[in-house]
Formats: sequence, C-alpha cells, structure tokens
Amino acid sequence: MKKINWLVVCTGAVVGLAALLLTMLGNPGNMGFCIACFLRDISGALGLHSAAKVQYIRPEIIGLVVGAAVMALAGGEFKARAGSAPALRFLLGAIVMVGALAFLGCPLRMVLRLGGGDVTAIAGLLGFIVGILAGVACLKKGFSLGRAYKVKSAEGFVLPGVMVGLLLLLLLAPGLLKFSQEGPGASHAFWAIALCAGLVCGALAQKSRLCMAGGIRDAVLFRDLHLLTGFVAIFLVVLVGSLLRGTFHPGLAVQPVAHHDYLWSFLGMAAAGWGSILLGGCPLRQLILAGEGNGDSAVTVLGMMVGAALSHNFGMAGNADAMTDGVFAPGGVGTAGRIGVVICLVLLAVISLANLHKEERV
Amino acid sequence: MSTYVATCYTHLSAQLSCKRLRSAGCEARMMPVPRALSSSCGTCVRYEGEGAHRELLDADAEALYEVRGTEEYRLLWRDDTNP
Repeated sequence: MKKINWLVVCTGAVVGLAALLLTMLGNPGNMGFCIACFLRDISGALGLHSAAKVQYIRPEIIGLVVGAAVMALAGGEFKARAGSAPALRFLLGAIVMVGALAFLGCPLRMVLRLGGGDVTAIAGLLGFIVGILAGVACLKKGFSLGRAYKVKSAEGFVLPGVMVGLLLLLLLAPGLLKFSQEGPGASHAFWAIALCAGLVCGALAQKSRLCMAGGIRDAVLFRDLHLLTGFVAIFLVVLVGSLLRGTFHPGLAVQPVAHHDYLWSFLGMAAAGWGSILLGGCPLRQLILAGEGNGDSAVTVLGMMVGAALSHNFGMAGNADAMTDGVFAPGGVGTAGRIGVVICLVLLAVISLANLHKEERV
Repeated sequence: MSTYVATCYTHLSAQLSCKRLRSAGCEARMMPVPRALSSSCGTCVRYEGEGAHRELLDADAEALYEVRGTEEYRLLWRDDTNP
C-alpha cells in the first residue's frame, strides 16, 4: 500500500467521534451526521415540506459549510467558480436526495449505521458501490458536465451566506421556522455543540478532501486508497465507540431510523452513488465545495433541499421500522418511493448518455 | 527525461490529455490531483517525457507542473483565463 494520508484518516476519526458525541447528546440513533436527513430537516423547518417529524434547522450543516469556507479562506483556497451545467447539477442533487431518503441516509450515515451494527445498511452499501461503478463506467466513456469558470467572489459566498442566515433565523427569529415536536427532527444536540462539531468537521473535510463516493471511485479508477481510508476510519471509530458505549446491537432487528426493504435500499443508494460520481462528490463533499466558493455545488445543495421536499411531499421517502409495545410495524419504501427511485435511475441513464464526449459515444 | 503533472478542469480533459500523451510515446497515467496542488478532488495526468509537451494537453487543462523530488512541484504554465 502507498503512503497513508494521515490527514484523511484523522478527519475520518474526528467525524466518527463527532457523530458519536452528537448521538450521545441528543441526535437520533446512528445519525450523528446525515447530510441527506439534515438537509431534509432544514427543508422542513423552512416549510418546503410538511412532514411534521422532520423539521429542524440543523446547525451541523451550517457548521460544515461555514467551517469549510473559513478553512478555505485561511488557506487561500477559496475560489469562486461556477458555470458547469448548473441546471443538471440541480437535478442531480435532487436525484441523489430521493435515492438517499428512500434508504434513509446519505453515504456518511450509511457508514455510521454500519458502525453502529445496523446490518440492514449493507444493502445500501452494496447499492452505493454498484452506483459508483456505473458512474465510473460513465467517466471512462467520456462523461463530463463541463468545466467551471472563475466568477465574481459574491457567487462563492452564496451558500455560506445562506447558512449564516439560517443560523440567525434559528437564534433570532425561531417563530418563522417549523420545529418537530416528536420524531427524528425533535431529537437533536444543543445547537452550539452541533454547530461546533460541524465547524470542526467542515474545516478538516476541506483540508483533507474527505468524500464517501470519491474514496470508492479513486480505488476503482486509480487503485488509490487515500480517500477510502477516511471512510474506513469513520466506520472503525463508530464501531469501537458503539461497543464501548454498549450501543452496538448488530442484527437485522429494528435499528434506529432504518428499514428492512433491502431491494429498495440497494436501488436508492445505487442512485445516490451514481449521481454522486456524476456530480464529482458525495453530499458531504458538495457542502464542502460550496463552502470553498463553488457555485455549482451550491446549486447542487439547493437541488438536494428541493429533492428532499419532493421526497416527503410525494411520499417517496422510506419509512422506518418501529416496535410499539412489543408489536413490530415494518417500514420500507412505498409505491411512490419505488416509482421515484426508478425514475431517478432512468434520469441518471439519460443524463449520462446525453453528456458523453462525442468521440467516445457508443 | 523529466516528470510532469498536468491538472485539468474535468476528468474528461485529463482523459483526453493522457490519451494524446500516450499516443506521442510518453509514459502517462491518470491519478487524483495531489493535495499540494489543489483542494479539488479531480483527476490529473502524470507523465514522463523529453519536454513538457504542453501542446498535447487538452483545451481544458488547468496547469502544468514539473515534479522535483517528492511532493515538490514547479509551476510551468497555468491557464490565465482562470487564475
């Protein structure tokens, strides 16, 4: 193996520790971080969807974007760039979100679920890998959304600015927002701790380029395991932490905010993985790139928020399994969600084919 | 014989540059962009040749570096439309 990039490993370890801490302090089980769930919660808090159980301005997301922006500015790496197929990126962001919410978690939460002993997440992991392989095949065939160009600095500050605005709303005008009274949206760590965890992880992720999809992509494309070590570090830290805390309950039995619908977990995460490769990074990476000034990633994040809203408004999101008074109530992906995931996979195929380089088109 | 790294704005651009360099007889391979050069997690081309062969790089190439030792890069050219 080549030289280990300890910055990536340390970032993974810190993200894992932060996730454990946030779960201990109130976040839902195996959901210390979840970019998909947390963007969905923010969409709900802003009234973009009306699923009462998932509405809250998640300070972790604010911290990730602002932490990345501060680190990029401090390191002279903040560069306002945009112009690489913004409309397609918006759509791809929405597609990734529909797939992830069918599974009930972004790629980062998938790793947290696995580390916490949630065996049902293996279906998602397999789907994610297959989706990435599909995306890599597209890259090899010449897929490209085109290059980004230098733009005025204001463009680069849009998403960090929106995040600061959300924080101000949360602290100064909470009456304008919606807050869950029960369910995952009502489970959260104290805002300042969540914000700090996001800031630290965002800054480190900017420095290390941590990316869930990029790790597998680079391993497949270049036999380069640098980014994958971060992925593995998160898993190991959460696994050890869960064992030490006594919260490691391996099995297929009712797991926190998860379901047993393996086929649709697989297909949902296949859509998320494929879309992430076409976008050039997983949902976490999109937040970090937006923090570095990338306007295309900012548009992608906005697409993810709209995708989350559509997912809940149209009943496409997965429903978690539940155990009430000893009675098991199975969750899963309903008909609308299944249709949604299939549409997403078809759209991914169309977008992939439509953006192949002409010389390479088959 | 020197070693060079060409960074590109897109994966496709790196792919096309790599293809052209190989056709010209250079030993070229694609790899993730070294962190020392960029915070981007994109793709670059690392190749060996007698001369930098900038003319063989794709139109969406971003910068060209000569590699000196480990993790030491000397900038030879940068796309001045996007500094």
